[in-house]
Amino acid sequence: MAKYLTKRLLRSVVTLFIVTCVVFTLMRAMPIEGYFQNYEKLTDAQIQAGLREQGLLDPLPVQLWHFFQGLFRWDFGVSHTYRTNVPVTEILRDKLPVSIRLGCLSILTSMVFGIPIGTMMARHKGRFFDKLGTVFIVFIQAVPAAVYFLLIQLYGTTALGVGLLFDAANPRCWILPVLSMALGNTAYYAMWLRRYMVDESNKDYVTLARAKGVSENAIMFRHIFRNSFVPLVQYIPSSFLNTIIGSIYVESLYSIPGMGGLLVTVIEKSDNNMVQAIVLLYATVGVIGLMLGDILMTVLDPRITLAGKAGDR
Amino acid sequence: MEKDIILSVKDLHVKFTLRGQELHAIRGVSLDLYRGECLALVGESGSGKSVFCKNFMGLLDANGFISGGEILYNGMDLTKLKKPLEWRALRGGEIAMIMQDPMASLNPLKTVGEQIAEAVRLHQKDVAGRSAVREKVLGYLRDVGIGEPERRYKQYPHEFSGGMRQRVVIATALACSPKILICDEPTTALDVTIQAQIIRLLLDLKEKYGLTVIFITHDLGVVANVAERVAVMYAGQIVELGMAEEIFYDPRHPYTWALLSSLPQLGERGEELATIRGTPPNLFKEIRGDAFAPRNPQALKIDFVMEPPFFRVSDTHYAKTWLLDPRAPEVAPPAVLAALRSRREVNGP
Repeated sequence: MAKYLTKRLLRSVVTLFIVTCVVFTLMRAMPIEGYFQNYEKLTDAQIQAGLREQGLLDPLPVQLWHFFQGLFRWDFGVSHTYRTNVPVTEILRDKLPVSIRLGCLSILTSMVFGIPIGTMMARHKGRFFDKLGTVFIVFIQAVPAAVYFLLIQLYGTTALGVGLLFDAANPRCWILPVLSMALGNTAYYAMWLRRYMVDESNKDYVTLARAKGVSENAIMFRHIFRNSFVPLVQYIPSSFLNTIIGSIYVESLYSIPGMGGLLVTVIEKSDNNMVQAIVLLYATVGVIGLMLGDILMTVLDPRITLAGKAGDR
Repeated sequence: MEKDIILSVKDLHVKFTLRGQELHAIRGVSLDLYRGECLALVGESGSGKSVFCKNFMGLLDANGFISGGEILYNGMDLTKLKKPLEWRALRGGEIAMIMQDPMASLNPLKTVGEQIAEAVRLHQKDVAGRSAVREKVLGYLRDVGIGEPERRYKQYPHEFSGGMRQRVVIATALACSPKILICDEPTTALDVTIQAQIIRLLLDLKEKYGLTVIFITHDLGVVANVAERVAVMYAGQIVELGMAEEIFYDPRHPYTWALLSSLPQLGERGEELATIRGTPPNLFKEIRGDAFAPRNPQALKIDFVMEPPFFRVSDTHYAKTWLLDPRAPEVAPPAVLAALRSRREVNGP
């Protein structure tokens, strides 16, 4: 297990290194306006001087080397157009925790609701509860999220007696955004869990368990549930990233100071240092998510061996 | 042999609804199962062997239903059982089953030991405590011939070969301590050398645990090795029933003749193997007369009009063919079957 983890971790580091290089190189192809606050008013000479000062005229490998050096000092440069001369890390330090909390809470919420809904649907396949659940899933997937986000905000704020604006200190303010963000994943988990469970319940080992005299409930929970959860579990950690990035609309609805729309904003302002840092951050979260997913799967499914070779455990 | 009936099926009819149509899968089967015997159900695919046995455990697919007849076990009519709870009292503990594909019939995410232990805990309430259950499971693993049971206990199904998995499935069935064991083509998915081992094992366990065994198969070679009594099924009916000796050496139904003639063992090297022409009848339609008649080159006129009743050949041997009617013309069984008989005289019964 430890051996596999180290290997996997090293491989992730390599992936991130490659991603960093690619992103960094691509960023050099971006317009240079984003490195100055008042680009239009500068003369060519001033621009060249500014670029030299920021080290942007050095050869690419040298720049990359400097970037990695900065990385180890936790220095991602400063923002130019988004917030003038404020270090990127400082900007993210304020926003990231909000997003992480929001993301974690919403994933947790969607599991708390999605898994029982999916299980119940599979258990009552073809009957009332299954149909009700299908209506819910189809509604969530077919109706544009904006519609029910607005509805939730409209009725939720009144019902809970909270204002439209987000206040991180007030726990009740978290409920509506978290709920809004959780709905999509809830439907997703419910839909796939139901499908996997129905698939599993048609397998021979379920018939054999039934023939052994195991009760339907025990079959459902002891045999089918875990087996169906395996394919789903791989997706859960990586859905965290989607949730953070996908929170753009919810965050703007409630004016939450999170990461949701940040990437789009800084790209629009061509704030290259910010773009670089955020893309790297997302890539890291993504790679970690995939790794966690794989690890969770190996923990749950003995057929997927950690060492890579079956039998030498 | 003392004939103590353990399970009695009377005129059982089973239908399936498929896309608005009704498929008559079991068309009036009556059968008495004697305690301690090994009965083989033989027939080609789709003849209703498995469906017939699934009724004993209430395991028919959701679109299937019993449309008539009764199954008597322990003074209960199993066709009347509705509630899952009633069935659960029967499943495993009274009647257990082994299925065809050992690769698919174990839960891939649970250790082999856990899966057998589950059966022990359900059906042997007197075995209390973790270690007692474990001991019991290890005993079953030893009984089915799995070496190093302590190590194997903790392993998962994918770490077992096909034959070994089938042994585990058998151990699971035994752990339910059943009276009747239904083996639904237990060796079909295994290669020939393993087949023989599994059959040997089943016969040994039948003696050791005093089981009554129903052996479903389409492999007559297997039947010859295991069965005391044979029921030949065709198109949802039993067409011939008798002791294994009688079925092999004195078959009376044209379908049994055809089935035996197509045994590869009887073929001559270099000659084409005997086959049965045509396909089994469509069970969506009402069948008139003898279901096998359209495929039988020697069919009588009456075979197309009227369904034959069972004719008694001996106390143990019955066949459902008009050929046994006193008015029927003399129709000789295919010549190749004489080879079977002569082989028996050489080898002894």
